[in-house]
Amino acid sequence: MDKQTDFVLRTIEERGIKFIRLWFTDVIGTLKSVAIAPAEVEGAFAEGVGIDGSAIEGLTRSFEADVLVHPDPTTFQILPWRGTEDPTARMFCDIATPDGAPGVSDPRNVLKRTLARAGDRGFTFYTHPEVEFYLLKSSKIGPEGPVPVDTAGYFDNVPGGTAHDFRRRSVRMLEDLGISVEFSHHEAGPGQNEIDLRYADALTMADNIMTFRTVVKEVAIEQGVYATFMPKPLQGHPGSGMHTHLSLFEGDANAFYEAGAEYQLSKIGRQFIAGLLKHAPEITAVTNQFVNSYKRLWGGDEAPSFVTWGHNNRSALVRVPLYKPNKGQSSRVEYRAIDSAANPYLAFSLLLAAGLKGIEEGYELPAEAEDNVWSLTDAERRALGYNQLPASLDHALSLMEDSELVAETLGEHVFNYVLKNKRQEWKDYRAQVTPFELRSNLEML
Amino acid sequence: MPRSATALSDLARLGFADLRASRDRLDELIDREPLVESYVAAISRSADPDQALVRLGRLIERAPDETRVFLGAETLPSPTRADERPGDRLMLVLGASEGLADFLVRRPASLRALLSKVWTVPHQDDYERDLLSAVGDLTGDAARTAVRVAYRECLVSLTAFDLTLYDPVAGLDVVASALADLAGAALEAALDVARREVAFPADEVAQTRLAILAMGKTGARELNYISDVDVVFVAEGTDGLESARAVEIATRLAIHTTRTLSDLAPEEPLWEVDANLRPEGKNGALVRTLSSHLAYYERWAKGWEFQALLKARPIAGDRELGSEYVEKLAPLVWSIASTENFVESTQRMRERVTAHIPSAEVDQQLKLGPGGLRDIEFTIQLLQLVHGQNDPSIRQRSTLGALGALAAEGYVGRAEAAEFNRDYRELRLLEHRIQLSRMRRTHLMPTDEEALRVLARATGLATSAAGLVEHWHAIKRRVRSLHERLFYRPLLSAVARRPDADLALTTTSAIARLQAIGFRDPKGALGHIAAMSAGVSRRASIQRHLLPAMMQWFAEGTDPDLGLLAFRRLSDGLGESYWFLRMLRDSSGAAKRLTTVLSSSRFAGDLLERIPEAASWLEDDADLHPRALPTLLDEAMATVARHDTSLQAATVLRTARRREILRLALGAIVGVITVEQLGKGLSDIMSAAISGALALARRDDRLRHGGDDLEFAVIALGRYGGEELGFGSDADVLYVFRSDPGTPSAQQRAAQIVADLKRFTDDPLVPLDLDADLRPEGKNGPVARSLDSYAAYYARWALTWEAQALLRARSVAGDDDLRVAFEALADTVRYPQSLSEQDVREVKRLKARVESERLPKGADPTRHLKLGRGSLSDVEWFVQLIQLQHAGSVEALRTTSTLRALQAAVDTGFVAETDAERLREAWLIASRARSAVMLWTSRTSDLLPSDRRQLEAVARLLEYPAGSASDLEEDYLAVTRRSRQVFEAGFYGIEKSPRPTS
Repeated sequence: MDKQTDFVLRTIEERGIKFIRLWFTDVIGTLKSVAIAPAEVEGAFAEGVGIDGSAIEGLTRSFEADVLVHPDPTTFQILPWRGTEDPTARMFCDIATPDGAPGVSDPRNVLKRTLARAGDRGFTFYTHPEVEFYLLKSSKIGPEGPVPVDTAGYFDNVPGGTAHDFRRRSVRMLEDLGISVEFSHHEAGPGQNEIDLRYADALTMADNIMTFRTVVKEVAIEQGVYATFMPKPLQGHPGSGMHTHLSLFEGDANAFYEAGAEYQLSKIGRQFIAGLLKHAPEITAVTNQFVNSYKRLWGGDEAPSFVTWGHNNRSALVRVPLYKPNKGQSSRVEYRAIDSAANPYLAFSLLLAAGLKGIEEGYELPAEAEDNVWSLTDAERRALGYNQLPASLDHALSLMEDSELVAETLGEHVFNYVLKNKRQEWKDYRAQVTPFELRSNLEML
Repeated sequence: MPRSATALSDLARLGFADLRASRDRLDELIDREPLVESYVAAISRSADPDQALVRLGRLIERAPDETRVFLGAETLPSPTRADERPGDRLMLVLGASEGLADFLVRRPASLRALLSKVWTVPHQDDYERDLLSAVGDLTGDAARTAVRVAYRECLVSLTAFDLTLYDPVAGLDVVASALADLAGAALEAALDVARREVAFPADEVAQTRLAILAMGKTGARELNYISDVDVVFVAEGTDGLESARAVEIATRLAIHTTRTLSDLAPEEPLWEVDANLRPEGKNGALVRTLSSHLAYYERWAKGWEFQALLKARPIAGDRELGSEYVEKLAPLVWSIASTENFVESTQRMRERVTAHIPSAEVDQQLKLGPGGLRDIEFTIQLLQLVHGQNDPSIRQRSTLGALGALAAEGYVGRAEAAEFNRDYRELRLLEHRIQLSRMRRTHLMPTDEEALRVLARATGLATSAAGLVEHWHAIKRRVRSLHERLFYRPLLSAVARRPDADLALTTTSAIARLQAIGFRDPKGALGHIAAMSAGVSRRASIQRHLLPAMMQWFAEGTDPDLGLLAFRRLSDGLGESYWFLRMLRDSSGAAKRLTTVLSSSRFAGDLLERIPEAASWLEDDADLHPRALPTLLDEAMATVARHDTSLQAATVLRTARRREILRLALGAIVGVITVEQLGKGLSDIMSAAISGALALARRDDRLRHGGDDLEFAVIALGRYGGEELGFGSDADVLYVFRSDPGTPSAQQRAAQIVADLKRFTDDPLVPLDLDADLRPEGKNGPVARSLDSYAAYYARWALTWEAQALLRARSVAGDDDLRVAFEALADTVRYPQSLSEQDVREVKRLKARVESERLPKGADPTRHLKLGRGSLSDVEWFVQLIQLQHAGSVEALRTTSTLRALQAAVDTGFVAETDAERLREAWLIASRARSAVMLWTSRTSDLLPSDRRQLEAVARLLEYPAGSASDLEEDYLAVTRRSRQVFEAGFYGIEKSPRPTS
């Protein structure tokens, strides 16, 4: 830690950094930034930087304005897209109240608290997200809706295509920022791309996702296109999810792995999945936080609308990926509901809390879903006992409202704020008269 | 002495305990080695003669020849103690230390260490010479063994010196500093070995400057017999060696040095070399350059790390470099105390340490327990840090040195300093002897009788086990008062017109001290102390005695400044009557409680100023419990009877009411009564006050109108009816009268009685608001009605909300017959046989409207204690709806109390216990918070404070530990959220939207 601060101060000196951006995230998951000069960095480490937090969504209680942001030196990186003229670096920050207590509404603190709880039980939590997004020609909406940059499909190699260059450039930039990329390819929708980040502990990964979104947006601007993480921008094409692989470690050992067990999945792994399944409906308002999220979630295809698990079943909510022999350390489960627009700090906190609850209470894992759940009838699904995820933001909020797990994990302040903020979104949405209604009702009625 | 002729009683007299076995052993030993016979007296002088004998036996067994030569050695001619032979010293060592006996048995050649008498302890240079010559140019295991054996020989010699001291208490610091010097010599010798062992070019090793700094007790030169030795390593290159390379080499040197002393080798390791006080602790680099150390301390170090630096002292390796380290860091150390919250964080740190002692050990702890060594060290260090910034003369490393300097400069009293000097030495002597016995690092007093007896003999502090324990407890008692006596008492002298001759604490120093412990206005505080302690009066003299302890307690309270000010006002108000102060002096429990009350409650402070004698109740819990209603009523009626004029009587009643409210406030603050007892108690006080005032009003009425033809009663509603009043709650009431039909102007008379009642109960200091707005027709209706009028009204007009209000109707004052009659009437309204669907809907709708309309504009519903989400009114309405629906048929539900009705609803199956628990929790926390807000601010407020300081004060009154403002907030929000869930499901019957279709 202290070595790291030395390193930061030295690097700022050596590389002639002109600005340091202090990054933090509001409750909704929007990245916020305050720039300071190199001379202020030392003070920022020692005392934090005071900002007026009242203007930032959910950051402060209504009655307090000032908060302090404390940069975390281990997150120091030079931003590659700023070029060499005014070299700029960034650090993620923790938020504190003026009396030094951790900010109650700092999503990063929520995740840290949850990780500490897992730590008390001897667990560390790793995640590995597959982030999908669309590349559009611009943010302008054409007569047919947004206009994607190409019309290619899954894994298509588009000759001379923007998407290819785009991914190459983004991956390069991410690696410059110390974020390892596992994989990248064209996704099923036109202009849709996926980039998989190499697994890391959940806090680093949440920071990485925030960086990732910025990088992708920056590269898009560089290349004259527009990138969006909106869960379902194009009607009739797949939405952008963020399937996330989760694993728990006990020391150096993967706690999900047990040689010889079914799917090499340990009891802890099974209980963790059971926890995810049981609490999936109530955490959905956070993992899928926008009105638009539910258009992806209920858009058919392989969207994980039903609370099931399966081994390599691409319609299940929780998937246990094919086990690779001799890779005990890579045992993991994939949670497929979360979308690319989630606040990763809060979403990871809740996924972890749900899984831990399964372990603590010793939940039994229900039977595996072997069929494509979408191909079953409602009656069949009921008969098989498959619950389903909420159908709309409204529904998700009403489930969350009753959730002790969500309240405990987020803390009362964040919990109340999310409910309030998202209810407002639902209200605004409902107040509209949509083209759909006009088209189908106006002339008929 | 003839064989077997040794009488057991002789042995007993000599101090043996295991008589038969020791006699046999002695005979046997003399048999083998006749020289032993001349040492019986020496053995009997040792701490544990029985064990000395056993150990001597082992020595003779192992090395008969060496032992014989040694025992035969005569004393070198000496001017003073010609009678002390080497063997005499051996017996003392054998009797005091099993560990050293083992060493001598293991290495009989080392008996040589005892051959010559040591008159003064050697210097570190002497020890270094001994150890270095023992090691020569050895390396590896041979070197390790040589260093350790040489060290232990010096230790044996030093032990013999210690044990032959005439006054070991006085010699304690000499022995402790010799132990530190010996440890330094061992480090020096080990570093010498390391320089030969490391695999670097010899010239580069030579160019590497490595300094070893001693920290902790070694640094302070007050080491124990067995202790970790705390060190820090600093390195620099010379003659062109780059510092990076020098650090690399020095790191190896440091590791080798450590290993030479602590790794396994044929001779046992000495002690742990602990380098964890270095920058970044365990994770930091083992060796740093001086500038790297400096950079770390300038930038990153935490308060306690500076505290550790207080003791830093060059002990081995490059002394010049070491001195430079100390010099450069000193300014940083002495400015740290000026940082905000320093003392608080130091105290927290200490509390954490104390909290980690296993509870079974607390009573045996010499070091960490209450009244232990750590108490002395902590107080002295704190004083050093507070005052050392401006006064270099008190910057001493050792505890005793610092204590002496603090006394010499007048920061603490001389007499106290002398007393604690002795206590510290005695505690350390106990620790030394306990450690010496097994050569183990322990700070626990033995518990078994025999070990205590041996310890008593070893220390000379007592002659028996019981005597030693008693002596130790006396020390502990004194040390527990140390903080107060050293830290707070001198504050008085600072403001005295004629300061104690030996105390010269300046005003500036006193202000620094007060600021450090949390007074926001230290100047003002000092002024109060001066005012209270000045003069020659009896009062001032008691104040001087009391104030130091009270200052400490105020400092621990919620608002020290407020507390001290209130205390001054209180004692000024009492003038020369000093019974109160004497009571505080004689009852430390009462004094401590008084500080809690004054620093946490304006409400109680203001009342106490009026009724100072109430402070004496703090002595006895029984006085803090509510007095029973009949007692209160008797007093009120006696008052009425005693006074002819109503206004006079009303004044007395008012005083009685204030007094009883204060009693409950005190009880609530010190945690003697629960919030339920409080509600009942306050309601009873209200009833007594109303009854008294009503009696006056009736008497006046009779005087005006003659005759006794008007019956009158007061009916309580709302929280008063439910016996749930808090401090500052209004009293909701109804007034009812009854008269013969022919009685003229009964209505006007009743109205006059009400007006008088209000006048007689009025109290500007502790307002008593009688609120009759719940009466039929509200503000538009007559203030009092006849019973018939009520009956007619309820029969014709009663709305559901009125039935609901009557659920809590309870008659509290007036004519008994009328009271009974009214309650019977109320029963017909409030317990209907059935409640129509429409009525139920009406109640729900009204509640919904109240929620949106009654909440003040802009108020945060999650923080509103009365009307907020899941708080008081939610719980009350929930319970009342069940009562309206079912109390007609289920009699158990007929109670005015919310919690009792809730319990009845559980018992009769209308509410699940888990739901009731959530509602109860919310009701309790909201009620307690409301009372706490009133106690703290002396103003009613229905909002959970959002300001951190206010919230902290409320949390303290709710018995949370200091610093729990956020915890209270989080708890309150969670509890009321859960209660709201229960409320919404049970009261509104809100069902969650059905599952969507896929």
